[in-house]
Amino acid sequence: MTTEGIIILIALSAVLFAFVFIVYRLVKALRMGKSEDRFNNFGQRVKSILVYVVGQARVLSQPAGIGHFFIFWGFIFISLGTGEHILNMLIPSFSYEAFFGTGVAVTISFCQDILAFLVLGAIVVSLFRRFFLKPVRLESDDPKAGREAVFILGLIFVLILLMYGIKGIGIIQGKVDGSSAPVSNIAANLLRNNLIRINVVESVFVWVHHSLIFFFLLYIPFSKHIHILGAIPNIFFRNLGLPGTLTSMDFEDETADKFGISVLTDFSWKQLLDLYACTECGRCQAVCPAYLTDKPLSPYRMIHNLRGHFMDEMGSLLSDNDKEYTEKPIVPEVVSKDELWACTTCGACVQECPTFIEHVQKIVDLRRYFVLTEASFPPEVQPVFKNMEINYNPWSFGYADRANWAADLDIPLASDKKSFDILFWIGCAGSFDDRGKVIAKSVVKLLERAGVDFAILGTEEKCCGETARRMGNEYLAQTLIELNIEVLKGYEFNRILTICPHGFNSFRVDYPQAGYSKPVVHHSEFLLELVKAGKLPSGSTGNLKGVYHDACYLGRYNDIISEPRELVSGIDGVDLIELDRHGKRSFCCGAGGGRMWMEETIGEKINETRVNEILEKNVDQIFTACPFCMTMFEDGLKACGNENVKVKDIAELLLEASKESEKGKG
Amino acid sequence: MKIIVLLKRVPDTEAKILINSKGSGINEEGVKFIINTYDEYAIEEGLKLKETVGGDSTVTVVCMGVEESTEIIRTALAMGVDKGIHICDAALEKATPAVIATVLAKAIEDNGFDIIFCGKQGIDYDMAQTQAFLAEKLDIPQVNVIAEFKISEDNKKVFLLRRIEGADEKVEADLPVIISCAKGLNEPRYASLPGIMKAKKKEIKKLTLADLDSSGASEEKKSTIINWLPLPKSGECKIIEGEEPGEKAVELARLLREEAKVL
Ligand code: SF4
Ligand code: SF4
Repeated sequence: MTTEGIIILIALSAVLFAFVFIVYRLVKALRMGKSEDRFNNFGQRVKSILVYVVGQARVLSQPAGIGHFFIFWGFIFISLGTGEHILNMLIPSFSYEAFFGTGVAVTISFCQDILAFLVLGAIVVSLFRRFFLKPVRLESDDPKAGREAVFILGLIFVLILLMYGIKGIGIIQGKVDGSSAPVSNIAANLLRNNLIRINVVESVFVWVHHSLIFFFLLYIPFSKHIHILGAIPNIFFRNLGLPGTLTSMDFEDETADKFGISVLTDFSWKQLLDLYACTECGRCQAVCPAYLTDKPLSPYRMIHNLRGHFMDEMGSLLSDNDKEYTEKPIVPEVVSKDELWACTTCGACVQECPTFIEHVQKIVDLRRYFVLTEASFPPEVQPVFKNMEINYNPWSFGYADRANWAADLDIPLASDKKSFDILFWIGCAGSFDDRGKVIAKSVVKLLERAGVDFAILGTEEKCCGETARRMGNEYLAQTLIELNIEVLKGYEFNRILTICPHGFNSFRVDYPQAGYSKPVVHHSEFLLELVKAGKLPSGSTGNLKGVYHDACYLGRYNDIISEPRELVSGIDGVDLIELDRHGKRSFCCGAGGGRMWMEETIGEKINETRVNEILEKNVDQIFTACPFCMTMFEDGLKACGNENVKVKDIAELLLEASKESEKGKG
Repeated sequence: MKIIVLLKRVPDTEAKILINSKGSGINEEGVKFIINTYDEYAIEEGLKLKETVGGDSTVTVVCMGVEESTEIIRTALAMGVDKGIHICDAALEKATPAVIATVLAKAIEDNGFDIIFCGKQGIDYDMAQTQAFLAEKLDIPQVNVIAEFKISEDNKKVFLLRRIEGADEKVEADLPVIISCAKGLNEPRYASLPGIMKAKKKEIKKLTLADLDSSGASEEKKSTIINWLPLPKSGECKIIEGEEPGEKAVELARLLREEAKVL
């Protein structure tokens, strides 16, 4: 072996040894977390890797992702080249050409050459974005985060230039075939007449390049580029269930004195893995309604800070003799209480995250600790919980009044009918809120007109538990869910119909966890079904310009996007406009995650922000399919001093339009 | 320190109260029962006092009421109260404040006490008498509707503030004392889940009149409720519809003359 070979062998062994040791510690630290089963459905998981790692599907869902696509693939091909070079230094007879044939070698060399060039371009663009465009995504109050990103981009830039230098010299020396490396060829031409001691320059390039690579390898785990290690497993182990799913808690153990998450080791290993996977792209932050209205919460910052905390604590966590060590509480040390309660659980962050980090589950878990273990939450929440416990609704209405809205409507009760096709679940808003009642009544009229065989539970219905669950009160939620299941099991019917996306989501994800699975439809789907079947007229109205606002728990969480639009735009005279943020990328109204019942004292109001966005479109009406969105917008419109624009549920709209069309006929 | 908190089971504030057909009580069907809301402030103050005093202080809730009162006692235990005493006896079904006080006094004396907290009144019958009778029976001072509570360093005296019309009244009293509480004194805590779990295992001592040697207590009543009568129906409200104010005025005049017969 040459001296060069011996030196590289020693350096490589040392670096690899250190790298393996670091990775070993990272993995060991994950094992400090609680167990969680993410090993099911292997095929689906492999597919995730193909789509989201190889294909970079989520990364590419935004234009800036194209840069990452090139950097990712460039990185792989450049590493292949570096690998070849190092192996060749160790075993002079080694080359891809010798091992895999000319075809493979030429392809690798070509891809490497082109991709590396594109990476240079991508780096220039991203530095430009960072320094001149300053998008919301990249805002961070940790100055280290920005510096680190620039440092790494610079490092890659230099590495690529060196690579071209080495390849260029190779071409000059006739070791590399220039025809398969167009960019290196240019480098060769530039260098050809300007270098005197070409061999010395080459070995300087090589050693600087390889030293930087070794440095990079050891730097990765301590920087945001840890995602190179964390992202792929994180995508493999991602949540394959419905997006609104939360883990269920077990209250069997009566001696337990702690529930929810307060320190790092309460997280599951997968939740800790999330922390290694964050690319610090800030996509989550750029869509977060809390962040965008100046609340202290940013999902990006939360993950960034949690990882910082995890890294800081890792030494103590892993040391055997540090028995005295007690973990620092995450709240308020790493995440503030205001951050914790600012989240609307809108799910936008989770949807955008290219590495499938699950922010909402963490926020709910942290809330769980405070609600269940410490009984500590914003003061205005206590009466809400108490009302839910005593009267099964978040407001202070007596539970016996739940069916008052239906008093003179002669609506069939499940307790009388016993068996029917559709169970119409009214929900708390439909039962008690004045505007909600109008929605419920409108749907009843439409159901009657369409001749649907349905019934309501009346006073047997209780709050579905969705809000309590997302506020972290899992115990109360499970109590309500069980009470409801007991009642529901007493009747025979085919589907549950809801007018509230929250109840809808709860029946889809929460109730099955408690052992009750029943098909559930939202009224936007069901009414469309009736119209399509010719059981309801599609209706007509005078000229009306409106927007449809997607509720988070309908669009983003449950993919019901086209149905309400089809229903509304089917009405003669309605001119349906799209908002910029719509469908899966809709912007929260501010009510979810229990925010409906909390004061909003920090920053702008989320509902007003959304209302202003809507008002820019100069519409006559806002169509909603969620009673809570409706309340938020009516309040928002009032606050903005706008009395002309009306908020209408799609059921109200359809009912009016069908009356209108009948008048027309008469 | 032995801290006692009195507890009463009352219909939920949101419940619809209807007099039963015999006029002997309310129709309990569909009515939810809760801890008397003022008693929650008493529980909270008791728990806070225990935290201040520390040592081997205990908070005991004493409740006289039907079998189902165990539920609200458990709720108090979940909030952090140490022990429950539940006096339940068919003979006490119609007990009036004087009788209740007699029975409570016996149970409290048997248990031992240094301070007693209670709600300023039951939100059901609004009599606000039991604490007064009880103070008499136990021969201790009583201070009602306090806004602030403090205890002396040596735990022998309390300093209280009462908010009265246009002024604050400072009161000092020696222990033992009975203090009634109302909204504003504190923010009653929400039971934590470990609290709820632990409450399941805490002791609730069940007592009958015989256990208290007070079989005759029910005869000590000072008053008797004879009958409950439903409120007379309040007049119905009519909204006059119409396009023009003039038109509505004519209709109003007609109604006042013909229907209300006031003109
Ligand atoms: S769920 Fe919505 S509000 Fe909560 S952190 Fe994510 S984006 Fe922000
Ligand atoms: S959590 Fe996901 S979306 Fe947010 S910064 Fe990290 S990688 Fe990007």
